[in-house]
Amino acid sequence: MKLLPRSPIEDSGVARAFAFGTFAVGCLAIAVYGQTYLAPAGTLLVAAPGYIYSHRHRHDPPDRIRQAVIAGLVFACLAYFVFDSVLALFGGNLPQANFVMLLVAVTSFELRTRRNLYSTMWMSLALLYLAAVFAWDVAFAPIVLAWLLCLGGFWTASHLKRIGAPRFQVPRVPLAAALVAAVALGGGAFVLLPQPSARPAGPLIVSLPTYVSFRGELENPALPLVEFGADPSGSTANINLRYRGRLGDQVVMYVRTGAPGYWRGLVFDSYQKGIWTATHSEGQTFRAYVDARQLPPPQGPQLGSFVQVYRIVQPMPGVIYAAAPVESIYYPAAEIRRDYYGDWRAPAPHAAGTTYSVVSALPDYTPGSLKKLAGQDPSPAVYPQYYDTGSLSERARALARQLTAGIDPADRYELVMALTRKLGSEPYRYSQNLSRVPPGQDPIDWFLFDAKVGYCEQFATAETLLLRSLGVPARLVTGYSTGEYNPTLDQSVVRARDAHAWVEAYFPGHGWVPVDPSPGFDPLAATRFPNRWATSGLARLIPHLTIGAPGAALGSLGALALGPGLAALLIVLVAASGWLWTRRRRLVRSRSPGEFQLLRLYERIQRRLRRRRGPAETPSEYEHAIVAGELAELLSDVTAAVNRGAYAERWPSPADMEELTARLS
Amino acid sequence: MRPTWRLLGALVLGAVIYLYGATSEVAWLFLFGLLLWAAALAMLGYTRWNSRGVAASIRLLAVESSPHSPSPDLPESAFRDAPLPAPVFEGDTVELELALTVTGGSARGPARLATDIGGRQLAAGSGLVPAAGWRRVERLEPVRRGSLAASGVTLDTGDPLGFFRHRRRSADQRLAVVLPLFSSLATSVQVRELESAFTAVRPGHGNDLYGVREYRAGDPLRRIHWRTSARRGELVVREFEPPGLRIVGLLLDPTPATPEAADQVARLAASEAWDCLRSGGRVVAWCPGREATRLDESRSLWSILEWLALYPDLPVDPSGPPRVMDAIAFLTRPGGPALDALQDMQSRGAGARAWLVGEGELEVPYQAVGTEWPL
Repeated sequence: MKLLPRSPIEDSGVARAFAFGTFAVGCLAIAVYGQTYLAPAGTLLVAAPGYIYSHRHRHDPPDRIRQAVIAGLVFACLAYFVFDSVLALFGGNLPQANFVMLLVAVTSFELRTRRNLYSTMWMSLALLYLAAVFAWDVAFAPIVLAWLLCLGGFWTASHLKRIGAPRFQVPRVPLAAALVAAVALGGGAFVLLPQPSARPAGPLIVSLPTYVSFRGELENPALPLVEFGADPSGSTANINLRYRGRLGDQVVMYVRTGAPGYWRGLVFDSYQKGIWTATHSEGQTFRAYVDARQLPPPQGPQLGSFVQVYRIVQPMPGVIYAAAPVESIYYPAAEIRRDYYGDWRAPAPHAAGTTYSVVSALPDYTPGSLKKLAGQDPSPAVYPQYYDTGSLSERARALARQLTAGIDPADRYELVMALTRKLGSEPYRYSQNLSRVPPGQDPIDWFLFDAKVGYCEQFATAETLLLRSLGVPARLVTGYSTGEYNPTLDQSVVRARDAHAWVEAYFPGHGWVPVDPSPGFDPLAATRFPNRWATSGLARLIPHLTIGAPGAALGSLGALALGPGLAALLIVLVAASGWLWTRRRRLVRSRSPGEFQLLRLYERIQRRLRRRRGPAETPSEYEHAIVAGELAELLSDVTAAVNRGAYAERWPSPADMEELTARLS
Repeated sequence: MRPTWRLLGALVLGAVIYLYGATSEVAWLFLFGLLLWAAALAMLGYTRWNSRGVAASIRLLAVESSPHSPSPDLPESAFRDAPLPAPVFEGDTVELELALTVTGGSARGPARLATDIGGRQLAAGSGLVPAAGWRRVERLEPVRRGSLAASGVTLDTGDPLGFFRHRRRSADQRLAVVLPLFSSLATSVQVRELESAFTAVRPGHGNDLYGVREYRAGDPLRRIHWRTSARRGELVVREFEPPGLRIVGLLLDPTPATPEAADQVARLAASEAWDCLRSGGRVVAWCPGREATRLDESRSLWSILEWLALYPDLPVDPSGPPRVMDAIAFLTRPGGPALDALQDMQSRGAGARAWLVGEGELEVPYQAVGTEWPL
């Protein structure tokens, strides 16, 4: 069987233009989403004449001097990469993307073979991937399309060159229709199909580690919810419930995540007179990348793992937010530190544009799982801070007993949930517009009995102390809530107003389980894989997406969520089958039984002989031209029958056809 | 319709990117992978649509005579029943048209037509086949004697990205028969030759019985052969040879030593046939073991030339040599069945002579030549 000749793609200027187009799209994506402009523009300006030069001189004999110069420039690019990524000499912003762009620009003068052209395109695909990590809006979709169009143009130019077409011309309307169908099909599948989560090999290493280490003791930066102290960095070692700043709508970070969760920051375990502190400041130092073998395994049953990529938008204290528990983590610094409570710290405040990634486990915090306890609570003698109610009044303790009356104290889940739900419902309301705590009054009593209005710190503090009064180990956690989560794009937009505080209650066998008493939040603040069938695409229609709300509303459909998709598939299958059956019946009816069977038999014989009768070839000419071997006699009889039928309208009877068909098998 | 390696590469690329999206939570990678697969599906449909609407054809467009071509020397009347568009002789340059046409009225493509013509691979393709069709002209020079056929005609259609390929093979197609060169071997042109050359000589008006044939309107009643007519049940008339009519038998060597020798044999035979026909005679060409020319074509220069063009690849026929008055053998070696047949005819009183392409000696009057042309 003759194959088409090898494509002389190197001779196609159009193909090179499309290959350059993929690089240009990659540079554009990096510029827009990586927010680095000098390298993309500069390398494009260099690569453009490089491509032209390569094309014009493609048949020249290899120039050793030019190749040596290009090799030297490649090493120079490598040196840049090392210096920028380690020492941040050039700003350290996406050094790997800059390296790729420089490499393409340098090698653009030596694009001789098809392998060179493909290498350029795969490097531009790497640029596209890097930009995709940072792409936080749907405007990235046209960039993906543009890159694919350039790839398609390259393949088309290659194919046309291979078949000897003199010009780059294709039927525009049919091709456009096919491409539109492809985009509709691919886009529709993207929106409607579930996106699987495979077990990640580890966090994404996007930014390379800088040469920044810890200097001195562990700093304990605070969060924007707390008092604005005199420290210019805004960091303090505590949370003072008496103070609060106003939090705005500015975006603080983007989180690309397969599952919406709370982004845990700091843990506080000691409460005295309205102030939360962390009693332990010791920690363990790690290198930039910490894999799962270096960390203790998560407690309790797990449902899987998922990757989060964080991109810090504004300068922030160096608290590394992550969904707990963490399996592995990568942060672009020489070292990071894990504190006593399992939280992570960077050696310096986050600069805008800092990107780090985390792989977290997803514990099974379903009610059924949490009701099964194993092991013991932390010993009060060893961990007294988790049981210390501080200056909680007797009135508040009585309230705790009242709110959990009738619940078996051994049923930890029901006990915690009862208290959480009661605090999260009327008469308690959530508001950030709060008057000052009257001087001299305990903030918690004032919140529980007088104001009955508060924000997350009040609710979390109250629940923590009330749980401790019931003998349940509890502590306060601060960080950020999920933000605006888009399950189709797998991303959350976290704003300053998403800063949040919640409670971690200890469940033997499961560890510290997050619960959230603040009204409007899911009481069991567990990370869950989204129900993608129900929420893909549709969830964007629901404003103010919060944890649990769409999951509860749409996920409750359960298996029924599959209904519309399955029904549509069934309809398509039935319609297609009906059309095929009707078409076949129409075909059979238009001919006599013998004619239909004879022509089918003739087709089968041609397939067996591996050569079809040509359009201008009569059956007799076909019979004389073909070497039929053992089928010669049958072919002769069938040919005679076909001729009789075609010219004399005398088709064989079904009995004759049976005999002929039997001879074939 | 078959997928190509590029489709496999695209699907693998899409799968790898999709897998990367699953492990990295970068949702855009899912879109990328799905678009690649969707494009593959769309191209499948495109290929099916494209393959049904394109047809290919090959035809002889024009002929450019070589310096040795006998065409300029032939009288105009000779071209009355010549092959169309023009007879093709050895060494001529032919122009072939490779055409792609569409059905359905809308442009299609891409498509590629490939064929083997005269031992040369020809291929032409286009990304766009307009509704009015697409054509490309190829020149083939110089052509060798024999059948100029387009074999292995394949029409490849597919999609612009090269994911799928649909190949349709057509039957071999004879485009032309490349005739042997010839020229007159006589030293001077006879006046009688000029008078009788290709004039409409009415058959059956001689003295020698030539044969019988069916009655045609206008035939004299006295020529009716009643006995044969009664036997056959239809009227049959006797046909006589005109006086002085020559019937020359050309006996060709069935196994020429070399292709060049075969070409020279064909040229010599064509030249002898040309001289005989010009003088009003008839020619029958025969090759031992092969089918001879038909008697009813014995006056047709083009039929004889066509037979000589196909020599020695002629249909098998075990019949003996024709009954002729004069025989000329064309040999490439001393001996062989053609020489035997010539000597046999000589022994029965027919005139006999021979041409020998190569070296050797014969026991009949012969002339030895090489393979150069003109002689």
